[in-house]
Amino acid sequence: MRSRIRSSERIGWLVLALAVAGVASADEPAKWLERMNHALTTLNYDGTFAHWESGKVEMLRIIHRVADGTVSERLVSLDGSGREFIRTGASLTCYLPDKHVVLVERTPAKVSLLSGFPAINDQTARFYAIKEVARMRFNRRSTHLITVMPRDQYRYGYRLWIDDSTAMPLKTQLCDANGNVIEQLVFANLKVRSRIPDSAFRPSIATTGFQWLSNDSAPLKETVTAGTTVWNADHLPPGFHMTVRAAQTMPGSPGPVDHLVFSDGLASVSVFVETHVQTTSGEAVMESARVGSSYAFSTVVDGHKVTAVGEVPPQTVRFIADSVKAEKTSESARPAELAPLPGGPFAHSPPPH
Amino acid sequence: MNEELDSQLSAMFDNELPPAECELLARRLSRDTDLKSRWGRYAVIGAVIRAERGVTLDGMVAGRVSAALSSEPALSADAAQPAGRGLQYHWWQPLAGAGLAAGVAAVSILWLRGQAVPGGSHAVARAMTVVNSPLAALRVQSPLPSAGVTVPDSFVVPPVPRRPMMVVPATELADYVVAHSAFSWPVSRGNLLSALMVSEPGTSSTPAGSEKPAPGVQGNAIQNPK
Repeated sequence: MRSRIRSSERIGWLVLALAVAGVASADEPAKWLERMNHALTTLNYDGTFAHWESGKVEMLRIIHRVADGTVSERLVSLDGSGREFIRTGASLTCYLPDKHVVLVERTPAKVSLLSGFPAINDQTARFYAIKEVARMRFNRRSTHLITVMPRDQYRYGYRLWIDDSTAMPLKTQLCDANGNVIEQLVFANLKVRSRIPDSAFRPSIATTGFQWLSNDSAPLKETVTAGTTVWNADHLPPGFHMTVRAAQTMPGSPGPVDHLVFSDGLASVSVFVETHVQTTSGEAVMESARVGSSYAFSTVVDGHKVTAVGEVPPQTVRFIADSVKAEKTSESARPAELAPLPGGPFAHSPPPH
Repeated sequence: MNEELDSQLSAMFDNELPPAECELLARRLSRDTDLKSRWGRYAVIGAVIRAERGVTLDGMVAGRVSAALSSEPALSADAAQPAGRGLQYHWWQPLAGAGLAAGVAAVSILWLRGQAVPGGSHAVARAMTVVNSPLAALRVQSPLPSAGVTVPDSFVVPPVPRRPMMVVPATELADYVVAHSAFSWPVSRGNLLSALMVSEPGTSSTPAGSEKPAPGVQGNAIQNPK
């Protein structure tokens, strides 16, 4: 009798252990994504990578540093355009020597790059299949190949070769819903450093004669008062919901621009709403555009220009832009999904590592 | 045999292949998957060697990247069954897309050979982007051309807008992308900024109510507004 109990106890423990192991292994790929997010945003690193898109290959260098909570980042085109992007804290300066333009974008103060990424959770898993498909050597490093496959065609997927020791993605592929690679970043070399000097973040471009375009950040609209006109989307692609509502000025825009962000946990789409300057023809014009694998779609709604931009397929930005409407609010009808930063689905908890 | 084909492909991209041979090769290209794959690699390498967009990489690097890409199988489509209402996905779409893409690839070569295309190699690279996309190929309305049939130009050229192009200023689009990048997933942020750094935002416009642009197609615009 005693031995029978012992053996059933053993089986019970074994079943429990297997169940725990199963849960752990199912969670493991998502944890690797969180480790990667953490590494990308908190480590000091200096690397050179190839960017491949639409049959074009270009080499870029990235230098990233976090010191005293301030993020500094420099992205340099090593050939071709010679462009440089330098981020220091909330300010991102884009040097475009081929256009003789410098763009200065100041992010609203409450937006922190250290917190501005989603937690991978059950909601994410509803719209993406996240798996570790292999452990392999890549560029003489041990990596985990994690795939993030979209479950429909409203979002893109990823293949990520994540370094075992640093959790940095050594190779990243952006894929469509059928798994076809549409954009790729591959590090040729990557060094994680304990410190990087300030001199590494100075531009190498002389800007004499350049046109400077800058915006001034405005505080986030954390509350919506009764009677205010707010912009909202009446229906969205599956899984997307509003995560941010902000207001900011944009270079060249006469007034403040409403900035809404919709996310499914990984993919995100920004919608910018600004006063529309009538064209000479007076006819409503819809425009679509792309930057790399990201798409933008612009249309006119109630005298306002509505532009959706995101790293999603073109049908998704169009879907969202077409759904945006102006609404008059009342105290009781305040949109429940308003989530001033930081918080909501973009809240970050330090990943275990 | 492979060397001979490689030589013909190379000559085709250098615009040195006689028209009759070019037509034969294009027909073979529509049937031969391996040859189609090699054609894609030639296009990439050719674009790099011709230093399009200021690319100054040596051909080896581009070749390695391109070869690595083409040797990697697509992710399983099993996990990518659509859940959305608006889009229907059928098992035959990738096959039909591949078949159509092959056909359209052949047609595009014939078309490109027959046109004095402004922009030269740029136009080749753009056409390759268009025709290699199964989604783009699926949007072709006409039946597949068979050998010997006169090919309409519309297979290659995206639909012409009914009104003149209106270009979103590149700086305005760049600013939207930069503002959006602050709210993106770190991996996406890297992609966004890298793409912004290396590419010229392309814009296509259509009047309200007209058909939307084909997914994956840049339209006929890589504009230099300023």
